[in-house]
Amino acid sequence: MKYILLMSGTRAGVEGYHAWSKQDIEAHMAALQRINKELTASGEFFATQGLAEPSEAKVVRGEKNGVPVTDGIFPESKEFLLGYWIVDVASVERAYAIAGQISAAPGPGGKPTNMPIEVRQFSKP
Amino acid sequence: MKYILMMTGKKSDFEGYARWSKEDIQANVSFMRAFSKELKDSGVFVSTEGLGWPSEAKLVRAGKNGEPIIDGVFPESKEFLAGYWIIDVESAEQAYKAAAQASQAPGPGGKPASMPIEVRPVLSGHADLGL
Repeated sequence: MKYILLMSGTRAGVEGYHAWSKQDIEAHMAALQRINKELTASGEFFATQGLAEPSEAKVVRGEKNGVPVTDGIFPESKEFLLGYWIVDVASVERAYAIAGQISAAPGPGGKPTNMPIEVRQFSKP
Repeated sequence: MKYILMMTGKKSDFEGYARWSKEDIQANVSFMRAFSKELKDSGVFVSTEGLGWPSEAKLVRAGKNGEPIIDGVFPESKEFLAGYWIIDVESAEQAYKAAAQASQAPGPGGKPASMPIEVRPVLSGHADLGL
């Protein structure tokens, strides 16, 4: 069964991340890469994708003639998708366990970030 | 350059959608299928996924010894990802145009739903984060 694990954050959260020390960022990235490697080895890895900074986000609506109307203003509280993992696992519990691992990735000073990871199923085709 | 086009909605939006007539839902779904096919035919399609209902969403955090702590309570205002497309296009303008098309998907009574579509570049690797 496939599940998507979503990591999101507000603009303030992303700015906070930029203030981390280089070592903290490296340790965080290394932990995430290790998780990807483990998922690949166990055959549970399906896809992962990181998204560009919220400052590059636009919201687009179509006008009557199909002309795109773009807007770059979002509320402060807006949760931006930062990245996702798609895993193919035997049970939802396993998806939760992987999300827990991602949430335990080290943050500033090596302490777990404890970032909330949203776990979702896919729509039935 | 790769861009992600995201469709999101609050729990109440999903509930509203569930109340559309069968014909309206069918028209919306066939529009989305035709849109994905058009992306494939024009060679810009990378991937697309539709997500399950927000009622099935859980929020997971790591406990002290790494065990998952699961929570299913979200604020009313929470915007849930409903689905996305990733496309590989020459310019942001091309991505915005595709998003505008998706935004024109028919809603109740066949009128364009004019859904807002969030467009963001996706990273090809950690190098893009300046690491």
